[in-house]
Amino acid sequence: MTPIIAFRGVGKRFPGVVALDDVSFDLVPGECHAVCGENGAGKSTLMKILSGVITEYDGEILVRNAPARFRGTRDAEEAGIAIIHQELNLVEQLSAAANIFLGREKRTPLGLLDDAAMEREAAALLASLECPIDPRVAAGSLRIGDQQLLEIAKALSLESDVLIMDEPTSALTETEVARLERVIARLRARGVTIVAISHKMDEVFRLADRITVLRDGRHVRTVDRAATNPREITGLMVGREIADHHFHHERKRGPRLLELRSLTLPWPGHPRGFRLKDVSLDLHAGEILGVAGLMGAGRTELLETIFGASEPTWTGEIRVDGQPVRFTHPDEACAAGIAMVTEDRKRLGLFPDLDVAANVSLCGLAGAARGGLLSRSREEALVAEPIRSTGVKTAGPHAAITGLSGGNQQKCIIGRWLLVKPRVLLLDDPTRGIDVGAKAELYQLIDRLCREGMAVILTSSELPELLTLADRIIVLTEGRLTAEFTRTEATEQKIMEAATGSYAPR
Amino acid sequence: MKPSDASAGGWRLPRHELALVAAIVAVFVATGWLDPNHTYFANWAESRDIILRNASLLGIIALGAAVVIIAGGIDLSAGSMVAFSATTCALLLAVFSNVDDRRLVTVSGLGIAVAVGGALLSGLLVGTLHTWLITAIRLPPFVATLATLVGLRSFARAMCLFVTKERWGTESQQINVNTPFFAWIKEHNVWLSTGTFLVLALLTWVVLSRTVLGRHLYALGGNEQAARLSGIRTENVKWFAYCFGSLTAALAGIFLMADSSVAQPGNLARGYELNAIAAAVVGGCSLQGGVGTVTGTVLGAVFLRLVIDAVSKLIKASADVYEGMIVGIIVALAVTFTQVGQFAKAGHALFPGARGLAAIPTIAVFAGLLAMMAAANVDAFDGRTPLFGAVVGGGVLLALAAIRWMQGRRAA
Repeated sequence: MTPIIAFRGVGKRFPGVVALDDVSFDLVPGECHAVCGENGAGKSTLMKILSGVITEYDGEILVRNAPARFRGTRDAEEAGIAIIHQELNLVEQLSAAANIFLGREKRTPLGLLDDAAMEREAAALLASLECPIDPRVAAGSLRIGDQQLLEIAKALSLESDVLIMDEPTSALTETEVARLERVIARLRARGVTIVAISHKMDEVFRLADRITVLRDGRHVRTVDRAATNPREITGLMVGREIADHHFHHERKRGPRLLELRSLTLPWPGHPRGFRLKDVSLDLHAGEILGVAGLMGAGRTELLETIFGASEPTWTGEIRVDGQPVRFTHPDEACAAGIAMVTEDRKRLGLFPDLDVAANVSLCGLAGAARGGLLSRSREEALVAEPIRSTGVKTAGPHAAITGLSGGNQQKCIIGRWLLVKPRVLLLDDPTRGIDVGAKAELYQLIDRLCREGMAVILTSSELPELLTLADRIIVLTEGRLTAEFTRTEATEQKIMEAATGSYAPR
Repeated sequence: MKPSDASAGGWRLPRHELALVAAIVAVFVATGWLDPNHTYFANWAESRDIILRNASLLGIIALGAAVVIIAGGIDLSAGSMVAFSATTCALLLAVFSNVDDRRLVTVSGLGIAVAVGGALLSGLLVGTLHTWLITAIRLPPFVATLATLVGLRSFARAMCLFVTKERWGTESQQINVNTPFFAWIKEHNVWLSTGTFLVLALLTWVVLSRTVLGRHLYALGGNEQAARLSGIRTENVKWFAYCFGSLTAALAGIFLMADSSVAQPGNLARGYELNAIAAAVVGGCSLQGGVGTVTGTVLGAVFLRLVIDAVSKLIKASADVYEGMIVGIIVALAVTFTQVGQFAKAGHALFPGARGLAAIPTIAVFAGLLAMMAAANVDAFDGRTPLFGAVVGGGVLLALAAIRWMQGRRAA
């Protein structure tokens, strides 16, 4: 079959980095083609070139056998190529309909905006995505999952025949992923070619006809799904086979550090009325408690409430070492030995203008000060240990934090908290957007901290991660704790059933 | 020394600061040479005093503006704060002087101490008010300090009327201050304000670069949410930043009152806040927050004042008219120059599309008008100023059109 898109020796150099090097492969019409690779492998760069975001590159791209050189995303859109970026690209203040038609607004014969027509069409589009939201509500007020679907609706409205999705499911719940997969099947039936970038092997193997693996900017292999398996693909991505992790034996459970009793967090103005309802749990030193739940189930809210990061409007009881506490600021939680690594690294964790050392030392700066004055050498000495023990790969303590990979940035943030010597570590989806190799390193780090006696609460949107790391797993469903499993009882099936409300404990 | 090595030392002058030093030297030499009287070379002492005094007063306020900007905020109220502080100082002097002394000659040492202390305290009060409006009422810093920019000056004028009426029976818009202490400050104002500026700069540098509080200021400006979630009491850090911003303006207010021997809240230091912010921005502070240095801010203030002074040497008549224009151009150029490198790398078009096409004649018209007005000061152009303006405007038009044409060719 004639390829609809052909990459011929595509290369891209950024100052000091070769992002892509001589990449050649084809996309055939109507296929779903997965592009896999670790972070920094060049997947996103390649897709940005294909969608006209990056206009300067080596080599050439053939679209329907004709050489094409897009000078912007508009050119690519006109050639029928649309991209859904991983980072949401919505104007939060505008309505869902206005976002879908942004830049291509429909007009009445008088030249005024035709909101009614746009809302009608938006509603139809969203309905086809099984996303029954009102097209008039502001995009910013939608849940992340719905915002992502809105992005997809926006791309679909372009009637493109090549649709690029950069980790489209990273913010979707399992049910939303299922409905996206149905939409993708429907699009493919119409002859649309789908290019999906994904980290998640199960998803890749469910969706893709063919899989292309990139590593360090080079094309490693393009294979038929039927002729390979997840282990082989993961191996191609990292250049080595990844051993299964078995961490959960041999941990010694210590004294009880944290207790929650009937914790309820109200949610004024929301029909449900609460973000968390009657959540009770215990956490002991030396154990990892996994928190499973769909997007919006209250995982982040649970950790933030314990950490004192949200307004202390909750009722119930939180006890640390048996003493009731009510933290009004993270500072107080910190003093009580509780640390939290937040979910959204870029937005809530990193200081892009500060270097690696300053990012790591932030919570323990008092240790680098004498007579109230900071010393550069003392600060370097202070951060040396957390940088070493978390295994951050950096050119030096004064390198720019933004130059580090996602995994190394995350290690820096964990290292930051190790400086306050916490006894309870709250990890909110710590491996999101991190490549396979770095994930394995983070698992080892978390396991080691736990063995050293730290108590860990870990949330994750990936169930295998919880099953790998956690001693116990609790499941939140719309703010309620609906199930608790020991490591041996837990299976993905049971957890999903509990999270979707279909689980009935005997 | 390569920039990467520079960071290893205690003192570092990154590229931006070095560029400012070079620009200061260039402006100094160029003005000394172009100025028909060669004042900078022939009579340096006099120019030095004027530049030092003005740069110091601007710099004191700019340091406050820089700290607020680094912390991710903005303080628009500095000019009104200067007037408020000067008025507070003068009114306290009035209270402590003899009832019939309308020139405020007779004030005891205690009275002076209370007046100066009160003026500085007024800065802390306004800073606290800002912090409360921003953190508790959740006003954006721009709105909160815009409110005090407008409100404080008016409040100071009302205070002036009230106290003069109560004290002397007649309302007055201004208060003369001839206290010997302030006359002494006026006499030595160059070295006193310069010394104060340098000490304050040193203190600010220590706080920003060498204390936990300083690091927290950068962290707050760089990522407020992350700072809070790292256990930083962001509200308290803001409290410091806004108090520091108002305190520096209050300090400048005392010097300005002494300099003019009068507290006149109606016009004192109008527009100073924008010059201070401009100095900080020229010095490399990012209005996004989290970026900026004391060295840069000091150099930015010196550079700004030097250029304003240079223009007054070159254009004799009513040079102050040109001040705002110069500040505006310098701010635009300074920020542009920091981005030129990125533009060149990305092949960024300077005059893209229809708006680029429209910008070319716009800039040419402004350049031509400016050249015409400047030429009016030069005898050689007598009667031919419109011609000169047209030539300059046309030249700029052709030059910019050529840039657009060349960039378009390279892109294609």
